[in-house]
Amino acid sequence: MALKIEKTFEVPEPIEKVWAFLSDPRKVATCVPGVQITDQVDEKTYKGAIKVKVGPSVTDYNGEAQIIRLDTENHEIEILGKGQDVRGRGSASMKMTGKLRALESGGTEVKSESEITVVGILAQMGSRVIAEVSNIMFGEFTKNFQARLKEASGDAAAPVGAAEVAPIKATSLAWEATKGLFRGKSESGS
Amino acid sequence: MIHKTSPEIGGMGHSIKRKEDLRFIQGKGNYVDDVHLPGMVYGQLVRSPYAHARLKSINTEKAKAVPGVLAVITGEDLAKANLAWMPTLSYDKQMVLATGKVLFQSQEVAFVVAEDRYAAADAAELVEVEYEELPVLVDPHKALDADAPLLREDREQKNNHIFHWEVGDRKATEQVFQKAPVKASVNAFFPRCHPAPLETCGCVADFSRATGRLTVYMTSQAPHAHRTVFALVGGIPENNIRVISPDIGGGFGNKVPVYPGYVCAIVASLTLGVPVKWIETRSENLQSTGFARDYHMTAEIAADRDGKMQALRVKTLADHGAFNAAAQPTKFPAGLFSICTGSYEYAQAFCEVDGVYTNKAPGGIAYRCSFRVTEAAYLIERVVDVLALELKMDPAELRRRNFIPAEKFPYKSSLGWTYDSGNYEAAMNLALEKIGYQQLRKEQAEKRKKGELMGIGISSFTEIVGAGPAHTFDILGIKMFDSCEIRIHPTGKAMARMGTKSQGQGHETTYAQIVAQELGIPAADVTIEEGDTDTAPYGLGTYASRSTPTSGAATAIAARKIRDKAKKIAAYLLECNENDLEWEPGKFFVKGAPSKAKTIQDIAFAAYTNIPPGLEAGLEAVDYYDPPNLTFPFGTYVCVVDIDKGTGEVKVRRFVAVDDCGNIINPMIVEGQIHGGLTEGLAIAFMQQIDYDESGNIQGGSFQDYLLPTAVETPHWETDKTCTPSPHHPFGAKGVGESPNVGSPAAFVNAVVDALSHLGVKHIDMPITPWKVWKVLQEKGVAA
Repeated sequence: MALKIEKTFEVPEPIEKVWAFLSDPRKVATCVPGVQITDQVDEKTYKGAIKVKVGPSVTDYNGEAQIIRLDTENHEIEILGKGQDVRGRGSASMKMTGKLRALESGGTEVKSESEITVVGILAQMGSRVIAEVSNIMFGEFTKNFQARLKEASGDAAAPVGAAEVAPIKATSLAWEATKGLFRGKSESGS
Repeated sequence: MIHKTSPEIGGMGHSIKRKEDLRFIQGKGNYVDDVHLPGMVYGQLVRSPYAHARLKSINTEKAKAVPGVLAVITGEDLAKANLAWMPTLSYDKQMVLATGKVLFQSQEVAFVVAEDRYAAADAAELVEVEYEELPVLVDPHKALDADAPLLREDREQKNNHIFHWEVGDRKATEQVFQKAPVKASVNAFFPRCHPAPLETCGCVADFSRATGRLTVYMTSQAPHAHRTVFALVGGIPENNIRVISPDIGGGFGNKVPVYPGYVCAIVASLTLGVPVKWIETRSENLQSTGFARDYHMTAEIAADRDGKMQALRVKTLADHGAFNAAAQPTKFPAGLFSICTGSYEYAQAFCEVDGVYTNKAPGGIAYRCSFRVTEAAYLIERVVDVLALELKMDPAELRRRNFIPAEKFPYKSSLGWTYDSGNYEAAMNLALEKIGYQQLRKEQAEKRKKGELMGIGISSFTEIVGAGPAHTFDILGIKMFDSCEIRIHPTGKAMARMGTKSQGQGHETTYAQIVAQELGIPAADVTIEEGDTDTAPYGLGTYASRSTPTSGAATAIAARKIRDKAKKIAAYLLECNENDLEWEPGKFFVKGAPSKAKTIQDIAFAAYTNIPPGLEAGLEAVDYYDPPNLTFPFGTYVCVVDIDKGTGEVKVRRFVAVDDCGNIINPMIVEGQIHGGLTEGLAIAFMQQIDYDESGNIQGGSFQDYLLPTAVETPHWETDKTCTPSPHHPFGAKGVGESPNVGSPAAFVNAVVDALSHLGVKHIDMPITPWKVWKVLQEKGVAA
């Protein structure tokens, strides 16, 4: 199952500060619920895990994330993440493009485009559920991103694996997804 | 007409209550999962999450370490015993457990055996399988493209094509089309659906090392055929295999094929020497066992301006999934799809079908259908309505002008079938009268003026059931006869066994009524037993509405053999000549002296106590019945729908079903069959589809997405009948279990399209969900 998700949000921080944060996968990872970066393979490649629970289905993806494009001049980053469920229930991959634009207000617009492919048991839940789960995860991500950015001092990167992992709250996630099924289509956009 | 016996005898035509229901309604049925044997252990399948992937490695160490786990079997293990693949019923082969690669999501990869179900399920999660994903083929229209991934590397033929099959005169049909003044066509997809029987598939395999005998309790619609398959595949002498089909909670074709789970349980029992139980979960049943339909069809009709049909041309692409596991007669790769000429007369017809592989679960089975008859009936009844639109003619009138006339039966169709009997117009007239057709058309015209959406759909279907005559029909070489053995006990009670197997059809009642009809022994005194291959005579099982046409006929013939012997005994007892005797149900009497009589009970007692000289003791007979032809039940269904312009919801306001299945054994059971089949037809038309996304993920793999109709969704069914007996069946019956599922989808869809036809809508594919209708309403600018 392939999904395309586009999100745009604004943060009150200057573009260079946002870029420093966005271009460091270890920092960005701390904003994604359920994600843990466990190892750095090379300059652009990281190993990690993400746990997603939807209803009765728990999926533990183990995989790699790689920066495949880093355009500092235009403030664009492209990350490719791939993972396989540890219990052989399927795989997922995500190609995310992040793009920053300086705003007149001094803040920054963050625009992300993601293509997510899910194969296996989780994908059987259908795009209705998966799209909602993704929406909720991106919502959490946005909140975390803004919050972390505020805290970020701009110092050296946090040590690998040290970031505290906030697991996805399974029940609330399932509930949010269910609620989403009854919401109007307009809300599932950006 | 059939002579009606007294209510005490309860022969044909009596609505006696179903004998089997007494135990079912008390929860005292005995299903496979009720079988508990000493020392029994449990199996659990590990399944593939991928639709197409290479198997790189399987690590079973962690699974084996789970307490209680006895064995983990993989495809490589089976390969060592030459059991990694098994034959399908369509001369293809299928993986039991995957070796090399997997070809559909949910495919069987490993089998874990443990002392209890929980340990087996836990251990199955710990089997580590490393896959390398391969390009997935989901769209059958792309299966034959040059760049399509090759699915079946095991075959010599290096493409995804399974078969091409055609029937009729292509050239002559083409010529008619070239000259025809009016043409109509429709592209209709009959979606992949699933019978979803209440009880999923399962078995208990019990191999005894002491006796060398293998007993398999299994959900089988064809226990004898399965025994033979196990003997041929497993190399076990057939006399050492006993298949027992206990009570079965619905089959609908889903329990005809042999599934990997059965084979794995048998292998495990042979290996471990203990009974092994394997029972599917609901999702496993929906995702991996025999689906139905998945036919991408095109039909064209040529006609003159008066609506007289001249020719029919049909082209179909059949999606068979990863293995061709269609359960159907050998010579018919597209089943009996060539019944697609339906109830109408044409000068010419041509039909062709191509089967292809895709990365989907294998099949397809005849879901409450005699081998693709449902697809055929749907297609012809749909395209006839499109022709009516083209001609701006009433669809009932168009049908009337083209029906095969009653006096032309037996009728040879342009695609080669000899229809045994029919009176299509009578059935349609009754249905139209019952529903008040003319009045409804007036109401529709008025509603249209007000912008309201109401539709009337007609389906005047013809079926072809009761496979079948030995000269044409076999499955894996075994001819499609069926059988009955009747034994009359000394006290005049009877026991009869058949080669068929009820899955809820009510055989214990209806077969007893046939014996009652023929011998006058009360149906209550006749015990019917099916499903144990050690005791029942050989037969091909129950599907394709074949039980009454084959085993039902065998029952009548066996009973008549008994009656012939009974007559000899009666003549001896009455000290008269056989020719002086007359029969009335239950007794022989001397012509002109009705008081000089011997009842069948007297005669049965004498058969064991006072045997006429020169006659064998006992009173029993067996018959293997090879039907001279198939039977052709028919009917007309009329459906009225109202469409909610705000939500797109279709409400079935009325549904009249007039069926003609020839002479009826038990009217109540026939009506029950029709109610059930219509309800399943409703679900197919409006609710159900086993769909796949572009990666081959199943989108209908649980009851969350694959919807079953409940009392809330089901409308009130109005049923009636006409009676046109089969001229070749011993008591003129035809079979009815499947008619409502065959005939109803077209009635539902025709009604919806009829409601929207004035907006330019010609066709909507099933399932017609509110979302689909809502989109059409938006498109046409009429949504509320």
